[in-house]
Amino acid sequence: MTTQVTQVTVEELATLMKKGAGVTVDPRDLASRADAPFAEFGLDSLGLLGIVGELENRHGQALPTDAERCKSPRAFLDLVNGALTTGA
Amino acid sequence: MSGSGIGSDIGTRRTAVTGIGVIAPNGLHTDTYWKSVKEGASVLDRVTREGCEHLPLRVAGEVRGFDPSALIEETFLVQTDKFTHFALAAADAALQDAGLSSSAADSPYSVGVVTAAGSGGGEFGQRELQKLWGQGSRFVGPYQSIAWFYAASTGQISIRKGFKGPCGVVASDEAGGLDAIAHAAQAVQRGTEVVVVGAAEAPLAPYSGVCQLGYRELSTVEDPARAYRPFTSAACGFVPAEGGAVLVVEDLDRARRRGATVRATVAGHAATFTGASRWDRSRDGLAHAIRGALDEAGCAPEEIDVVFADAMGVPEADRAEALALADALGPYGTKVPVTAPKTGIGRSYCGAPLLDVAAAVLAMEHGQIPPTPGVFDICHDIDLVTSTARPAELRTALVLSRGLMGSNSALVLRGAAPEGR
Repeated sequence: MTTQVTQVTVEELATLMKKGAGVTVDPRDLASRADAPFAEFGLDSLGLLGIVGELENRHGQALPTDAERCKSPRAFLDLVNGALTTGA
Repeated sequence: MSGSGIGSDIGTRRTAVTGIGVIAPNGLHTDTYWKSVKEGASVLDRVTREGCEHLPLRVAGEVRGFDPSALIEETFLVQTDKFTHFALAAADAALQDAGLSSSAADSPYSVGVVTAAGSGGGEFGQRELQKLWGQGSRFVGPYQSIAWFYAASTGQISIRKGFKGPCGVVASDEAGGLDAIAHAAQAVQRGTEVVVVGAAEAPLAPYSGVCQLGYRELSTVEDPARAYRPFTSAACGFVPAEGGAVLVVEDLDRARRRGATVRATVAGHAATFTGASRWDRSRDGLAHAIRGALDEAGCAPEEIDVVFADAMGVPEADRAEALALADALGPYGTKVPVTAPKTGIGRSYCGAPLLDVAAAVLAMEHGQIPPTPGVFDICHDIDLVTSTARPAELRTALVLSRGLMGSNSALVLRGAAPEGR
């Protein structure tokens, strides 16, 4: 059986931040400041929790509990995409 | 009973009202609200909210034309219910009125927030609960955890404005709107410079509407002109409403030092509890609250220039209120002018007494007692102001509020003395 891997992109994260938490952020800005804390973009911990839930529903799999504790876009995307790739 | 000395002059701080913000069915600004209240216009109308069409709750006071996205950042909108949108907008208006919209104080710790809430965020809660039962728990958004909570408006006002002083939420029934003001005045007494205090409600959504159907005091009359007529033989219950008001209160001396316009002072308050829907008992409870508020204010009955009545619209409750005035004020109880502007807009639960307090301050400022819209042929021994506003010199106002669950509160406000302006 092959695993269909769908990487979460910076663009998708920006869209999720807008939809779930009302945070407007340019994906290019998100990419260029990928190590900045989410708080700097205006995303709080509940907002990130909502994004984790949305991704879990889309991909039909649970994400590691650490996902909602990630401090930056890079850390979050690395963790999420790693988990989606391995199917963890 | 409270007895904290909020209005005492002896060695304590006095609490001034320096800002008013209103979001009401008859006005989205304080000026338009007062104009409508003074004219005695009624805006009660058929309920038009989606999903409420089939409910036996036919008439209400809807806040129409309110666009939260023009007033509140999207990050706050997505995590809040309409009742908090109203509160955030009213808080902004109150702070602006107080001249505190940019910087409220020297330190964020010197500004507190107190709101009262009767039902929380029902519309937001319904949406998320529908996801829970329709799709499953994984589809419930995280903001459900805070948005429908009674405390949401206090929390969001303080977060949005960066206020870190004493914050609180009063959940003591509809009369809690007055209790919140007393709570804020006590915070000022204890040294907090400024408190943003108020209440706004949004009970006109399907789930919230159904919750109210169990109240036997709820009016189910279909004709807006006949649905809410307290103190008459046609009294058939109360009409609910959306909206409310927020005040800025602060230490009177501080307000004067910074050159703020003092609009009124909070002079006295007391509250009692007499049991849910026990309107016969509310006579004694309300009279006791009135006496307590007058005591605290150091106010004789004859000093009260106007009473803003609770006006439940249930014959037994109306009788109890009229008799409570006579019990507490003596022979003057049948002579003091009484009004109930809420018959034109409905009762927004905890927001209703806040709107009455706003109207009382405006009435004292303008020297006009607003009328009681749509109410004629009074069948109780009170001097209810009807039809048109009555000019009068108003120095002291008494605001009354009762809740369906049994709370009774009274608040005495003093107008701004010339030297206080």
